[in-house]
Amino acid sequence: MTSRTPGAPQDPGGKTSRAGPDNTAAPRTPAESPQPVEPSRRQEPVEEPSRRPWGVRRVLAAVAASLILLAAGALLFEAVWIRTGHDASAWWKRLTDEFATRPVDDVWILAGAAVAAALGLWLIVLALTPGLRRQLPLRARADDHARMCALLDRNGAALLLRDAAMRVPGVSGARVRVRRRHVKVRADARFRGTAEVTEELTEAVRREERDQLVLARPPRPTIRVRRSPT
Amino acid sequence: MREHTKTNRVLLALVGLVLLGGGLLVLAGGADIYRRWNLTPPTDWPLTTPKDVLIPSADQARWADQGWWWPAAIAALALLMLLALLWLLSQTSWRRPRTLPVAGTPEQAVAVSDRVLADALAADLDLLPGTRRTQARIHGPTTRPQARIDLTLNPGSTPEQLLKDVRGAVERARRSAGWDELPTHVHLNVARHGPHRAE
Repeated sequence: MTSRTPGAPQDPGGKTSRAGPDNTAAPRTPAESPQPVEPSRRQEPVEEPSRRPWGVRRVLAAVAASLILLAAGALLFEAVWIRTGHDASAWWKRLTDEFATRPVDDVWILAGAAVAAALGLWLIVLALTPGLRRQLPLRARADDHARMCALLDRNGAALLLRDAAMRVPGVSGARVRVRRRHVKVRADARFRGTAEVTEELTEAVRREERDQLVLARPPRPTIRVRRSPT
Repeated sequence: MREHTKTNRVLLALVGLVLLGGGLLVLAGGADIYRRWNLTPPTDWPLTTPKDVLIPSADQARWADQGWWWPAAIAALALLMLLALLWLLSQTSWRRPRTLPVAGTPEQAVAVSDRVLADALAADLDLLPGTRRTQARIHGPTTRPQARIDLTLNPGSTPEQLLKDVRGAVERARRSAGWDELPTHVHLNVARHGPHRAE
C-alpha cells in the first residue's frame, strides 16, 4: 500500500501542491505518484544548500504584544473609570490637556513623532529580514522524502575551524572568529616560517569549511600568522 | 505546537506601519511640509499647519458628548486587549501533546503522540557517537508535521560525519509514522573545548 501523507486525500493524478513556510522551493517531482515515471529518481539524493530559514521573531512579538496589552489596558481602565461617573484621573486630564494645547511644531510633539516613526521603521525592517544571523547554513542532501535544512552555529564553526588550524603542523595556537562572509584566523607559528604556515593554514581552513563543515557559502578566510613569542 | 513565524512578522509589520504612519503624519504637519512643497492635502486631512493641535478641545468635547463614543471606545479597547493577549500567549510553547495520524491506516485508527515520536528520535540521535546533547521536537500543523533537532557536537566530530546519521535517524522516524515526508531543521552547536596542539 502506498504511504499517504497524513490527512491529505490520495491524489493519484497530479501533484498536490502544499506551499508552506518551511518547504523549499523545489517543486515535487511526479515520481511520488503511482505512475512508473523515473522511479530511480526517488533514491538519488541531491545535494543542495540549505535555504536560510527565517527566525520566528518570538521575543520581539512578545514585547510588542505586552506593550500593546499594557497601553490598551490603561486606556480601557481610564475609559471605564470616566464612564462610570468618576472624575477623570490626573494623568488623563494632563494628557488630553497637552494634546489640546500644544501645536504640532512643538518640540516634544515632534520628538515623540520622530521616535514613533523610527520605531515603526525598525519594526518593519525586522519583520521583513530573515534574522538568525548567528546560524550558518550547511549543504544538506535532500531527496524526495525529507528535505533537511541544517544550520551550524557561528561559534561552533569557529571552534571546529580552530581545531583544524591546530592540526596544521607548526601552529601552536589559534584564534578564530567567524562571520557570514569572512573568517578571521590569528595563529601563532613555531618551528616554521610564517609564510609557509599561512599558506598551509589557508588551504586547511578552506578545505575544512568545504568538506567537513559542509558550509553552503564558505566564508573567505583571512589569515594572520605571527611567530610564537616563546 | 506551531511556530508562528508568518503571523508574528505580519503583525509586527502592521504595528510598525501604524507607528511609522502616525509619526510621519505628525512630522509632516509640524515641519510644514504641505506649504513648503506646495502640496494640497485632501479635505479633512488632520494636522495640515504647524499650529494645529493633535486633538483640539472642541473635538474632544464633541466626541465625549455623543452617546456612542464611550461604549465604542471601551469595546474597541477590550478587543485590542484580547487580541494582544492572544498574540502574547501564542508565543509561549504550549507543550500540549498532540496525536498525529499514522498514514496507511484508516483515519482515527492509529495515532502517534508527537512527544513520543520526538523522544524516540532524540533517543535515536543520542546513540550516535558524535552527539553530546540532543533535543527533538515535532511541530507544525497536523497535516504537515516538521521536525526540529538541536544537536550539540562532541569535540571530535564534524557536521559532515553527523548529517548522514541524522538523515538516517529522521528517515527511521518518518517511516515508523508512515509519513510521506518529514521536513527537518537541524541546528548544530559544538561543545566548548580548549585547543589541543597537534601531536
